[in-house]
Amino acid sequence: MVDNSEASSSKDMIKEQERLLPIANVGRIMKQILPQNAKISKEAKETMQECASEFIAFVTGEASEKCRKERRKTVNGDDVCWALGTLGFDEYAGSLKRYLDRYREIEGDRGQNRVNNNSEENNLEENNNSLLYRNNRVERERDDFVV
Amino acid sequence: MRQPGAYSKLVSGGKSGPHSLPLARIKKIMKNSSDEVKMISGEAPIVFSKACELFIEELTKRAWIMTLQAKRRTMQKEDVASAVIDTDIFDFLVNLVSHDSANTVRESDQPQES
Repeated sequence: MVDNSEASSSKDMIKEQERLLPIANVGRIMKQILPQNAKISKEAKETMQECASEFIAFVTGEASEKCRKERRKTVNGDDVCWALGTLGFDEYAGSLKRYLDRYREIEGDRGQNRVNNNSEENNLEENNNSLLYRNNRVERERDDFVV
Repeated sequence: MRQPGAYSKLVSGGKSGPHSLPLARIKKIMKNSSDEVKMISGEAPIVFSKACELFIEELTKRAWIMTLQAKRRTMQKEDVASAVIDTDIFDFLVNLVSHDSANTVRESDQPQES
């Protein structure tokens, strides 16, 4: 039998998980950039999770403000690249543009948004899922691989 | 261990899997960032998955410098905080890292090292 406090704390835990990137992924990225013998405390990874979410929110805010000013409803990849450049992440903007161009090359028009569609949520998830699963089955299994 | 496919090499420069961060989660974080965000193109989370990777790499490298200066081999939270304070473009994080120790309560509080 689950009492109220248990139920609400597990809800809190879910909300907490939703606002952060998974610690396994974050930890892996950190580990890969450091020397082999480096160690990372759990708290440091948690702090990095928080920082990454704040980064996304910060850049998204700038990108969506641009869209608002230009009376566009949809934040796209170019808006994100622009926002990164504006906020001082010019170094990223360069390699991201190349990343985005390569992605568009591969995906063709599929990669572009199906704009102003009522079932946008579903379309976007399908879009992303098909991108992940269509071209290489093996990639799907990657999520099971945890360092 | 499996080999990364041709697609993933092209898109992510050799790392296995096209994106190292979950796109749905990124999209959620984007949506929750403000009420102003209405619609998000399919590419935006993909750009962010790469951008976040670069961001995490940069902040990690800078934090590691702090770790070494303290003559440790284990990166602590304070090293990340120091790197944030030390770097102009990370100014937006200053409040986050200075309030962090006081306010953040995590479900599991056993500190572990990787």
